[in-house]
Amino acid sequence: MKRPTMVCEEVGDQGDNGKQAQVSAPPDIYTSSEIPTPSERPLSVYAFDPSAGRLVGNYMTASVRYEAVQPGPVGERFAVIDYDGANKTFYQPVDLNDPRLLIRGGLAPSESDPRFHQQMAYAVASETLQRFEFALGRRIHWRGTRRSASADPVPRGASRCLNLFPHALCQANAFYSPEAHGILFGYFRASRSNPGSNLPGQTVFTCLSHDIIAHETTHAIVDGIRSFFTEPTNIDVPAFHEAFADLAALFSHFSHKEFLLDTLEKTGGRLFDSRLKPELAISPGSTGAVIQAQIGKANPLVALATQFGEAVGLRGALRSALGTPPNSNDINVKTEPHDRGSILVAAVFDAYFTIYIRRTMDLFRIHRAGGGNLDHDDLPAPLAERLAAEASRTAEQFFVICARALDYCPPVDITFGDFLRAVLTADLDLHPKDPDGVRDALMQAFRLRGIIADGAASFSEESLFWPKVRRDALPTVDGLQFGDPNGLTKSEKDNNGDVLRAYAQKHGDLLGFDRSLGKIQALSFHPMFHMGEDGRLFVDMVAELVQTVRRPFGEAGSGTFPMRNGVTLLISQDPPTADERPPPRIRFVIAKLHSAEREDRVRTYYASSGRAISQKIESGEVGEAGDDARFQLDFGLLHAGA
Amino acid sequence: MSPKKNSASKARSKKAKAPAKKSGKATKIPSHGKSTSAPTTTPSSNGSAQGLRVRMFRVGFGDFFLLTVPTANGPSEHVLIDCGVHAQDLGSIRDAVDQMAKDCGSKLTLVVMTHRHADHISGFATCSDVFSGFTVERVWMPWFEDPKNDTAMAFQASLTAMANDLSMRFAARGDDSSLMLKDMVDNITGGPAAAGGSKNQKALDVLHNGFKNKADHDYYKAGDQPVLPKSLSDAGLSAQILGPPIDPKLISQMTKVSQQYLSEQIETDDEGVRPFPKAFWTDRNGYPSDAFRIYDDQTITRLIDGAQPNLLAARAKAADNTLNNQSLVVLFSFRGKNLLFAGDAQWGNWENFLYGGAYGTPGHTELTENAKSILGKIDFYKVGHHGSANATPKDAVAAMRLGCVGMCSTQIHAYNQVPREPLLDALRGRMEGQLARSDQVATQTSKAEKTAGELPDQFKIPATGELFIDYEFK
Repeated sequence: MKRPTMVCEEVGDQGDNGKQAQVSAPPDIYTSSEIPTPSERPLSVYAFDPSAGRLVGNYMTASVRYEAVQPGPVGERFAVIDYDGANKTFYQPVDLNDPRLLIRGGLAPSESDPRFHQQMAYAVASETLQRFEFALGRRIHWRGTRRSASADPVPRGASRCLNLFPHALCQANAFYSPEAHGILFGYFRASRSNPGSNLPGQTVFTCLSHDIIAHETTHAIVDGIRSFFTEPTNIDVPAFHEAFADLAALFSHFSHKEFLLDTLEKTGGRLFDSRLKPELAISPGSTGAVIQAQIGKANPLVALATQFGEAVGLRGALRSALGTPPNSNDINVKTEPHDRGSILVAAVFDAYFTIYIRRTMDLFRIHRAGGGNLDHDDLPAPLAERLAAEASRTAEQFFVICARALDYCPPVDITFGDFLRAVLTADLDLHPKDPDGVRDALMQAFRLRGIIADGAASFSEESLFWPKVRRDALPTVDGLQFGDPNGLTKSEKDNNGDVLRAYAQKHGDLLGFDRSLGKIQALSFHPMFHMGEDGRLFVDMVAELVQTVRRPFGEAGSGTFPMRNGVTLLISQDPPTADERPPPRIRFVIAKLHSAEREDRVRTYYASSGRAISQKIESGEVGEAGDDARFQLDFGLLHAGA
Repeated sequence: MSPKKNSASKARSKKAKAPAKKSGKATKIPSHGKSTSAPTTTPSSNGSAQGLRVRMFRVGFGDFFLLTVPTANGPSEHVLIDCGVHAQDLGSIRDAVDQMAKDCGSKLTLVVMTHRHADHISGFATCSDVFSGFTVERVWMPWFEDPKNDTAMAFQASLTAMANDLSMRFAARGDDSSLMLKDMVDNITGGPAAAGGSKNQKALDVLHNGFKNKADHDYYKAGDQPVLPKSLSDAGLSAQILGPPIDPKLISQMTKVSQQYLSEQIETDDEGVRPFPKAFWTDRNGYPSDAFRIYDDQTITRLIDGAQPNLLAARAKAADNTLNNQSLVVLFSFRGKNLLFAGDAQWGNWENFLYGGAYGTPGHTELTENAKSILGKIDFYKVGHHGSANATPKDAVAAMRLGCVGMCSTQIHAYNQVPREPLLDALRGRMEGQLARSDQVATQTSKAEKTAGELPDQFKIPATGELFIDYEFK
């Protein structure tokens, strides 16, 4: 075979031509003997917690994005370090690479083996992170900046990896600790007198609760996205943190199909019922249940952390998605962060179930038209399948809207009303058409619970959307680099920081800042990518600009507090024209700017919550009066109750 | 132990103005001040409050107040408001109780117990022998003390159980900060009594059933219409109950933290739970080095070890606040003079009174008209919680009538930042300087506290220069 071109390309030994011709064959660029890298690593976990027993689907397999892990597990995004502060010991780490574990999806669920606990914490935290990365369309990083000027510097690499401590404390508590750059899970003895379905006095592990892991991981994720959402400048801020974490944990329930089907069957399709029908009806004439299959159970789909709640004597789940009938008074009287947060959770779930019903109404009607009656008939399997598909699709959509809404929130001093506006605006950007009325359902659900938005002219979609910046009203942000969904390089980041700082310095007044008050920082910027309904790719950048001003407490106490003013910018990269890429333009300016009234409100809130003089300082636990740690939420204390 | 007889026997001279000299070194200036005894002057017909007197005893870190009310024709009537000391006990409480017995002839018309912290009731236990000789007509206690109220009793029982548990744990830790916290939770129980039970229980027993006669008992909450003994109402005294609030939502102001420790979670003990057998134990070498790429193992153990006790401390503080917020808040009125005794009411209790609901929620961001009108007319304020920062909200200070008079029972070095100087300064400003601190007078064994400054002219101390400070209304 004559292949002159081949010969031409040979740069090797010309004197060896004869031999060359013999073996000359096109290089094989297709075949590889390497074993393909799997995309997922299956790991066994509890779908709820050990107290759910072998209830349908409680033993499930989580699909964690594959990565090489070391014993711990220690991977790229999480390092599980099992140090027990009460017993002052480390526990042996699980080695997920052990062939005996690889062959069966990790250790089987077990309360008595700490290595299963490590595996579960790793798997559920990773799963939660993946859900957020999927929803936001970008890689998420952990908090990489210090919380206050007086705090210790954040170590190198912190933004890539978060620590998980599955047995850190002997306490009925689990919390995200920015100081330890990780999540501390506790274990404790269940109540002896009122342990629910636990054994009296048995050891309960918070790191075996799917909900608690998802909740705490969400705290860490939010803390990485928004630097100042841990500063409780008004009563809604800590409640928002809790509500958002609960929402993430609750929506993840709906991705678990086997279990969803079971719940659909036991509620006759009414997923929002707080109790499940017993597997077996109580016989007519009988006064009550005779065997366990006749006892109706609480609906775990809408309940959070059941084992924990029962173990501490609450007689049920820690919190429920739909705790109380909607009313506009709770918002005025509930001030404890978890209680207040559940108002927001209930509002979102009200809207969610409303849409679920709207989207499945036709299926129920078809079923009835065919002579079906769900009051006494079982749900036919194909109908259950279709309902489950709608329920999980809708849950996914709501979760994405809520997650995306984070990017549309002001950088400081968030209120529930701000979140409502952010949710609606995010949804408008993602789904402009909204055929099922998702936005209206959300709006009505919030209104029913008395959540109103400051500064909106009326309670209508139009006035609740953040106002769009008129084209050409603001100068373009020249030089901003959007990178791609997998992130930015260091030099791109450095460039963007410079561009944004320069922009703030030059045009701060146009954004509403009073530049005489102080320097404006560019705290963070994240590229956002999303596919429009028409298939076009939208490219945005969300940036936080924050100005910090020290203000005196005045007569309320000694010292000063940090007053923060800020704007969130949404900056769009429009598609290129034939010749050039148009300069990035600002689409939204979502602002919490300085006003005497807001300053006064923050001061009063700090003073009234005892921050004028830190309690920690008072008891000598932490340093000087200038220590800003007191202006940060202490999740350890916040969660001692949950 | 001999009570100071001279102070009681000296005649009062109403007209003499207190010397300008201050009480800083009162013991060395016997001529200073006036001897005081029960005022016997009958109130003048024009309705002035002359003869109305508040006496603050110096016992250390604790409250002991005696309100003396003149009557139209007869001896004055006496109202005792708290009698206790906890931290920094100066050993003077027996002197003080004896002094009181002498002055009021062992007869109290009304006893007000604001709340069951040892620093407000321990005197009833330690001086139970003296109190057993007292005739007491009525006793007012907060709603939480009603033995017929199961909810209240269960609440107090679990609070006490928890305090006992925390106390043992702090004792086991033994470091300075743990011991201070132990002191704080012991205030709830009074510490164990020699005969079993707790000292506070002993004091409560005295209050319920330890006087010479069988007294009537009332258990009040905010808004209740209190029953005054007839002789007091005849004398012209009236009273209003402003706290404690019982609305369950406001009680849960104490947050889940406290609700939770009131559940049985407290059964957990630090050392007892060993979740996994030793076979699973290892040390840092069991982990790959990458596990410690953010924080090394020493940092991690330090951070996590440090995370442990803070929760206990938080519980101790939450428990302390819970009890303070049970404080009975009483407004006495006498011939146009208004006296506010707030016990140790803290934020949750004040909040209800000041704003009518949870502060910051719509409709509850400003002082209610009622709170404004009450604070705007008070003539006397017993400074809450020994002058700690969170016991007198700044809005309350700002709303107080300019030039009202204040008394603060306190003792330095009991707890950090109590009393809180900036707060006392703010009060002094509002009160135009008329604020007395109990440590501005000496006791038999302690001198007046130099850093407390000098006693303002409006107040009087006995000729001995020891034991108590009086304020007499004009």
